[in-house]
Amino acid sequence: MKIIDYCMMFFGGIILFYMLFVIVSYCTMFIIAMLDLRKRYRLDPSEYDDAHIDAFYSKPVSLLVPAYNEEVGVVDTVYSLLNLRYPQTEIIIINDGSTDQTLQTVIEHFRMKPINKIVQTNIPTKQIKQIYESEIYKNCILVDKENGGKADALNVGINVSQYPYFCSIDGDSILDEKSLLRVMKPIILSDGEVIAAGGNIRIANGAKMQFGSIYETQLPSNYLVIMQVIEYLRAFLMGRIALSKFNLVLIISGAFSVFSKKWAVEAGGYSTNIIGEDMELVVNIHRLIKEKKENKRIEFVPDPVCWTEAPQTLGVLRNQRRRWHQGLFESLWKHKKMTLNPRFGLIGFISFPYFWLVECLGPVVELGGYIYIVIAFFLGKIYYEVALILLLLFVIYGVIFSIAAILFESWSMNTYPKKREILRMILLAFTEIFWYRPLTLFWRCEGLVRFLRRKSDWGNMKRVGIAEKEKNI
Amino acid sequence: MIKLSITFLFTVIALLLVVLFTFLIYLFVQRQRESRFEKVRDRYLLNYSQLWYDYLFNNALFSMVLVPRGAAQVEAIERIFSSYLKNIISENVEQKIKQFANQYLKKFYEKDLSSRRWSIRMNALYRIADLQIEELLPSCQEFEKNKISDEEHFQLLKIYSLFQPDLFMEKIKNPNINYSESEYRRLFVLLEEDVFIRFFDDFNCWPTNIQFAVIDTAAVKRNMQYLDELKKLLSHDVMEINIRALKGLYEIGIIDEIDPFIPFVTSDMWEARLMVAKIFKHVPLAYTYSYLEQLLQDENWWVRSQAAKTIVEDRHGIAKLQQFIESSNDPYAIEMAQEIAARKEGSK
Repeated sequence: MKIIDYCMMFFGGIILFYMLFVIVSYCTMFIIAMLDLRKRYRLDPSEYDDAHIDAFYSKPVSLLVPAYNEEVGVVDTVYSLLNLRYPQTEIIIINDGSTDQTLQTVIEHFRMKPINKIVQTNIPTKQIKQIYESEIYKNCILVDKENGGKADALNVGINVSQYPYFCSIDGDSILDEKSLLRVMKPIILSDGEVIAAGGNIRIANGAKMQFGSIYETQLPSNYLVIMQVIEYLRAFLMGRIALSKFNLVLIISGAFSVFSKKWAVEAGGYSTNIIGEDMELVVNIHRLIKEKKENKRIEFVPDPVCWTEAPQTLGVLRNQRRRWHQGLFESLWKHKKMTLNPRFGLIGFISFPYFWLVECLGPVVELGGYIYIVIAFFLGKIYYEVALILLLLFVIYGVIFSIAAILFESWSMNTYPKKREILRMILLAFTEIFWYRPLTLFWRCEGLVRFLRRKSDWGNMKRVGIAEKEKNI
Repeated sequence: MIKLSITFLFTVIALLLVVLFTFLIYLFVQRQRESRFEKVRDRYLLNYSQLWYDYLFNNALFSMVLVPRGAAQVEAIERIFSSYLKNIISENVEQKIKQFANQYLKKFYEKDLSSRRWSIRMNALYRIADLQIEELLPSCQEFEKNKISDEEHFQLLKIYSLFQPDLFMEKIKNPNINYSESEYRRLFVLLEEDVFIRFFDDFNCWPTNIQFAVIDTAAVKRNMQYLDELKKLLSHDVMEINIRALKGLYEIGIIDEIDPFIPFVTSDMWEARLMVAKIFKHVPLAYTYSYLEQLLQDENWWVRSQAAKTIVEDRHGIAKLQQFIESSNDPYAIEMAQEIAARKEGSK
């Protein structure tokens, strides 16, 4: 009996200490984000957008669209790229050996004709079968290649691209017409000191769309999706903004981010043997910056730039989270030597420890916390109290932070303008710790186990398709 | 100890919830206010857009009902003005807008300039420049004496460049401020020609960011008087300046002699060779072919590609490339020539 007591005391202590640590770090990041957004509150954004619309100020960008069995969404994605307000772009669709009608759909829809084009092999990739050029849109290219995974497809895109910056876009992303301007803003303004930038990702489910762009946002009706909306808001306010301020960002979403081609190529392009290829590239670039001792930055833009389709069922969400976590672990593990390594400055001393402790190992400890609470209630005695403290910390961590994020986002950005929607989100936030949180924790732990057992897959999620959603509305 | 902690945590949670709840109420009240603001603004737009149009474009008489009462109506007027200023170029309209803004909007922006909020001050500075509220220049100079951010300072420079170029030239010399190249370009592109050309006078005294921005702006302004200035820079000691000048000359697109460019055919920097290959687009092939042939066999992919593209632009370009393909023994150059020739023929 004594051993159990010691164990409970020991684990209880660790979990409590961990929770306090996480709450303090989230609070700090939240305050930094708050101060940052407060400054911009009510600033007229059109002044900036318009100033940079001219080709004279901006830098040309190649837009890369890797597509593997995306016959439902790819055409809409390309249309939303054609809608972008940006002076000089080229669109490169890379068909990664799809087994459905992706290739045919694109060829027919955009009247693609085969062309001869010499491609510089900056990064070694799988074989290109054929390159096509659209007869309608001269800046639109289709590359048909052997299947090699998303990273390989993106590398082919980088090789084919002719502009100094490239932007990777997921097949299911919907963009705002000003997306590219906004994400390129730090790059243009800094004269190349910023070499990669990513923007704020939002969930598109429930939004009203026409011709591939969103004209009204609405909170979706599916509770699972609403929880993800809240989760995205939190991640944005308690993480990205603060990390970006100190050049500590390790993840900029692959759904819509711009990289300097020179730096990406030098960092070896996207790694094909890893799941989280976007994080891997960012970490590699950080490493390169430190090795070359150059004063370069990777930035996160708080403006919303990209809308993405969130999983609507538990099964798909489980896959996504498992894969994300596995990817995170893989990248961190691969670069473990950067952790607490003085050569890498703050990246080694803050980013890596933060990602290890909070993002990566967090789910294990937190899930441990849940299990602890259950066991404590069976064991009774003093453990009730420890369990209760833990539960209260979970409430602060889960409920309070979520509500704060919802309210603050609503104040600064006002994505969901209706009062009813805000109240609905707040009410749902109260339930988070009872179902959504434990579920995602469990899936993330699964991802960890999968990493340890070295399993992997392309991880394509089943899409409803944007066109289909338009019909539904 | 634990008991105390539980009570403590309960208190913390309760407190936080109260704070958040208050914030929620504040947010809803704020929303209500915003929606009232929007209603006033939209009503103004609905009622007076036509009157504004008549006044600005049909020379109708100015009516005092157009004078704004309150911030919502100012915002409505800003919207009307900004849509006309962005889409229509008419000196008469600009003049009328400027006059109105100087007379009736001045006091609103003057008040905004003293706001505690950075974003409100920034918006006011934007408007002073956009609507050319020259009468606020003294207020702006006064404002500069405060502790202001870099962004505000930048906006002030823009305002000075519009209303008092001499003051602008004086301010920009301040060594303590350093903006990025693209920001300088945003300032220079608005300058009158006689002010802008002064930057070439003591070109070497400027920091590199300004030097680069001056060259790029000269290229965009496409004015003949900058041709000689850019040509002079071809003999500058800094290679980056040579390359920028080459790029500028290419963009202006008027080449009256090729001699200044010949040394760059054998430059160590591939970017310079690339720019020469581009510049030769503006010169008949008969004068440049021997150099382009050399560039077609360059070690750099981009240079080869550009040389082939330049050759093919000429009337006899394809024939020249065919000739080259038959006689050359450089496989990379041949491959490039073939691709470009095939593409040109394909697009015919």
